[in-house]
Formats: sequence, structure tokens, C-alpha cells
Amino acid sequence: MKVNFYAYFREYANAKELTVDHCATVEDLILFLGQRCGRRMQKELLKEGTVSDQVIILVNGRHIAHLGGPQARLQPDDEISIFPLVAGG
Amino acid sequence: MFGWKGTLLRVNLTEKTIQKEPLNMKDAELYLGARGLGTKYVIDEVDPKVEPFSPENKVIFMTGPLTGTFAACSGRYVVVTKAPLTGTIGASNSGGHFGPELKFAGYDGIIFEGKADGPVYLYINDDQVEIRSAAHLWGKDVHETTDLLVTETEEDARVACIGPAGERLVKFATIMNDKHRAAGRSGLGAVMGSKNLKAVVVRGTGAVAVAQPDAFLAASMDARTKLKAHPVTGVGLPTYGTEVLVNVLNQSGALPTKNFASGKFDRADETGGETLREKYLVRNKGCFGCSIGCARVTRISDGPYQGFGEGPEYEAGWSYGANCGIHDLAAITKANFICNELGLDPITMGATIACAMEMIKKGILSREQVGRDLVFGDADAIVELTRQTGLRVGFGDQLAEGSYRLAESYGCPELSMTVKKQELPAYDPRGVQGMGLEYATSNRGGCHVRGYLTAPEILGVPEKLDPLTTEGKAFWLKIFQDLTAVIDSAGICLFTSLGIGLPEIAAQIRTALGWDCSDEAILELGERIWNLEKLFNLKAGFSKADDTLPKRLLEEPLPDGPAKGKVVELEPMLEEYYALRGWNADGIPTAEKTKALTIEG
Repeated sequence: MKVNFYAYFREYANAKELTVDHCATVEDLILFLGQRCGRRMQKELLKEGTVSDQVIILVNGRHIAHLGGPQARLQPDDEISIFPLVAGG
Repeated sequence: MFGWKGTLLRVNLTEKTIQKEPLNMKDAELYLGARGLGTKYVIDEVDPKVEPFSPENKVIFMTGPLTGTFAACSGRYVVVTKAPLTGTIGASNSGGHFGPELKFAGYDGIIFEGKADGPVYLYINDDQVEIRSAAHLWGKDVHETTDLLVTETEEDARVACIGPAGERLVKFATIMNDKHRAAGRSGLGAVMGSKNLKAVVVRGTGAVAVAQPDAFLAASMDARTKLKAHPVTGVGLPTYGTEVLVNVLNQSGALPTKNFASGKFDRADETGGETLREKYLVRNKGCFGCSIGCARVTRISDGPYQGFGEGPEYEAGWSYGANCGIHDLAAITKANFICNELGLDPITMGATIACAMEMIKKGILSREQVGRDLVFGDADAIVELTRQTGLRVGFGDQLAEGSYRLAESYGCPELSMTVKKQELPAYDPRGVQGMGLEYATSNRGGCHVRGYLTAPEILGVPEKLDPLTTEGKAFWLKIFQDLTAVIDSAGICLFTSLGIGLPEIAAQIRTALGWDCSDEAILELGERIWNLEKLFNLKAGFSKADDTLPKRLLEEPLPDGPAKGKVVELEPMLEEYYALRGWNADGIPTAEKTKALTIEG
């Protein structure tokens, strides 16, 4: 699976993108990234042991809120994009 | 008097007279201020069918009751007139320091009437108000004009002015204040130009009193604290600016690319806020009373596009970027600098160039007619054509009419991505359905900042709405449009609504004005303002047929990305929206609705 990072998540991951082994759900992926990328990533992505609602996570361009939330199933060829909460325009 | 100074300036440019008159406090209670109150004055004093460039049209600068106070992000003022780009009510607001300075000088607003017989500017220094010659300023750009006016008046004066684009009646000319802030959309700068009014210079030494100082201070501090603590207004916007949206919209498949041919741009990241921060950002900056600091001070130090200024914001980064198929952020930034210097709206400018690029691609325009090559991806073209447009030279003279009039003159109006002749901004509504309804119903034509449903549909703020469905969009849009009307009319920045909501905003309004009313009553002010604007447009000749979208967005499915296969399902949303607004099936406010909202005329 390909994971894209944006804004300060790029600093936390020290990369714009990572290829990771298949994780079954969004929550599994986020827990993995928290361990893989260190405390700052963990702190931003996780809240009370599950996926924070203060980040934007897209799976193939769709917000996970519309895919079933943190328990949304992932496929091996999925593209996941992670943004902090941003807005403006 | 609280929140207000109680005095308006009425400047007749034909007669060269200046009068001070009391603010209509009855209307200020009904329409709050700035956008709402300015619109009420226009409705009362201007025939909606007036030709925008005729002396009978008026230009009204208006502040809100929170402008210049300690309220969070209270630097806004609005300019209201009949807009030349759209023919609708034109209301564009701007930040910086000009609006507060006008209040400090003792005035809530200025009504400009008639037409001067030569270039003039208005000079305000507290009680002293003069119409002065601007012959030596005509032809000068925004930066030169501002510097000269500050030098010849007061070191601390604030300047709102037009550039060469406004003088030459470019249909999307802006009014620029504090050099870099713009009352940007719909061509209001050209109305100033039509009146030979080059600038307004103001210096004020007073202050704005509020009704309940302790409660107001507490409400303002509460709003500021929440804005600082919110991830969007406390971290995202100050760190990355609005350009951070490029990648979110692109990944969502709703970044309009090559004149809305697609929703995905393969080199979008090179034009995003992350890249801007890495390559060209000098520092961030805020307006008067700002606790966010979203503005970008930027410098390009080498290469062909060297320059220093502010921006680009997301919309300009998109219009010149993905929409023109351009990934060179230096060229995009340079073109945006030129817009600020010549006084042009970069959304319409970039979108009009993108339309011309498609016309060339389809063989409707020739290289000879344009005077140069013009293919999607041509970075030099956006810089050169922006300059030509601001000066109305070469092909720029045709671009200066905006994409609708350009495409229509060659028999292909369907290639113009506009609503009511105003260019759509940076969200493809096929991938953000609610934004389609917003574009179709906005009272100033194609516009994102009347009801920004991108926040809940794409960004999940404050709710999470599915962007690909129509369910609930009419309901939310009405709330967003009414709340936005309140914010714009109070004199505060719309971005506050990304971190705080109606309760915090209403608390500041109530304590400043000494009102005793509910949050719902404050929101109803917004509904009244929305209906008033709608009534102006109906009297100007607009109808349900104008509440629509470009054919492409209704009939041509998006070819790629998460929204692949989608068109905008407008009609059912529109029907529901009219009903929620209490309008009839033709989109006309019923007599019961206008009576319930206490709207006269």
C-alpha cells in the first residue's frame, strides 16, 4: 500500500510517501505508522488509542468518514493520504 | 454610540461635495453592517437595472460594528455596488488595516456618487475630508500609488486604490488596500475607475467604543483563545496558508484541471502550500486584529520570475496552476504579484486564460489572434497575458472582458466556466456536490465564499458530509450562507468560522452593540441579508434560469479520480434549497417570507 504524507506529517515521517505492507484496516495502518514514525506521528494520529478525528485520512481519495471510519477495510493496492486538519481557500 | 461611529461620508464626485450624515441606525439593526448594510443603501439608492459604469451607479465602502474593535480578526470592510462582471449586486470584502482606520477617523462608511471630471482621490484625516487631484497617480500601479500617497499625506495613512486595470475598466479589476489586500471579485475596481476615483486615503486617531466592555473583552478573548487552539486556525493556516488545500483537493479528485477537463493534476504537489513554504515563503502575516496569520509574504530570488510580494492564495495558485496545467510555482507566484500590482482578480484572470487555452486547443482561437503560443502548461504565458490584461494591450484587451464575454464573442460560451458570468473558483462541483449548489445560488455568481461547503464536504469541518451525494446539502448550504452573511456584515474575517461558530461570533456582536437577543436571532440577520441581495438580483433581471452551472459540469462526467463518472445533480438540490429558503419554485422569495424577515421594498 502507498501512504502519502502532507504538511507537517512529511516532517514526522521524514518522507513524502511510504510503501507499507498490507494492513487490514485504517486503524491497523495508523497504529503501524505511529510505531514506525515515532512519537510526534503517534501523538497526532492517535487519540485515546484509536484514530484521531483531528486528521484527514483519505483512502483512494475518499474520506474515511464515508468508508466506515477507522475500521474501514484496506486492499493491498490502496492509496492512503494523510493530512492535518486544514481549511481555507 | 457603541460599535458604530454614527457618521457616513457622502461624496458626490460630479458636484465635488462632501457631506457628513448620520448612519441609518434602523437599517443597521436590521442589516447589521458592512455587506448587509451596504447592500441596503445600494438597494435604496441605486436602480438595479443601472449600467454599472454609469454615474448613477454608486460605490459604497462600509465597515461593520466589529470592524476596528478587539473582536477576533476584526479588520474587514466591504465595497458594495452593482458589479460590472456579473450585473448582480457586487459585494467584496477585504482585510488589512484600511477598514479599522476609517472607523478610527470617525466614519462607518463612504458613499461615492456621480463621476469626477478627472482623476481624483479622497483624503480623510479625522475631521478633515478633501477631494484631491489624482492626475499624477493615474496610470501608476498599486504599489507606486500607495507609496506616493503615503508620502504626500501621512506616514501612517492607509490607502485603498485601483491599479491600471481599474482605470481601464477591466471587468474583474480589484480594489487593493494596504498594497496586498483585495476587495477582489466581480470587478468593483472598474466601477471606481469609471468614476475617475483612483484612491481613498485615510488616517484616523480615534477608537471604537463597545457597549459592555468587560463582557466584550471576555467574548473576544474566548474567540481568540479558541482560534489559537484549533488545528486549522492555530496551526494549519499560519504554517502553510490556504495553498495547503491544493493536495487535499487533488487527492479528492476535485481540483479543476485544464479548464475543468479533469479533477486531478499530476503535478499538483509542486504548486501546493508545502512547496510554497519550502521555496518562497519569507514569513506569514495577519491583518488588523488577526489571531490566525494566513497571509504569505513571498520572494522569488532568482530565475525569470523574480519578485517580492504576497501570495498566492489557494484560489490563485489553482487558477494559474492546475487550471492552466502549470506546475511552475515561481511563474504562478509572479503572475499573482502582477495581479496585486495592476489590480486584477487572479481567480478570474487565471480562469480566463485557461478558457483561452482550451479555445486555442479546439482551434477556435488562432496563434495570430492571441499573438503568441498558448497551450496548457505554458508558464510564460500566464505572466505575459496577465500584464497585457491589466494594461489592456494586445490580446489582453479581450481577456479583460472575462472568460464568458471572450468565449461568447467567438461563439462558444459553453467553454466559460462561470455562473452569472463570474469564474468558478478551485473546487470541481462534480466532486463536491454541495459546492455546485453554492455556485448556482451565490448572489454574486460563481463564488466559494458565500457558503463554503468544501469545509464539511472535503475537510470534515465542522461536520463530515459525503461530497459525492446531494443529501443534506441544501440544508447545510442555507446555514452556511446565512452565517457567512452575518460574519461579512459584522466586519470580521470569514476564516474565524473555521475555528469558532455562531455562539462565539454572536457573543462578540451582542456585547459590542449591547443587544439582548439569541444566537438564532443573529443568524436570522444573515437570512434577511441573503434575501435582500436576492431581491436586488431579481429586480436587475436575474431568474431561476441563471441559478445554474456550466453545461460541462451538468452533462460531462468527471473522467478520473474518486468522483469519476459524476456530474452535478443540481436540480433536486436547487428545488430543496428554494423550499428551505421559503421561496417559490422559481426561486422568488414569497411575500410571507419577506414580511417575516421585515424586508421593505
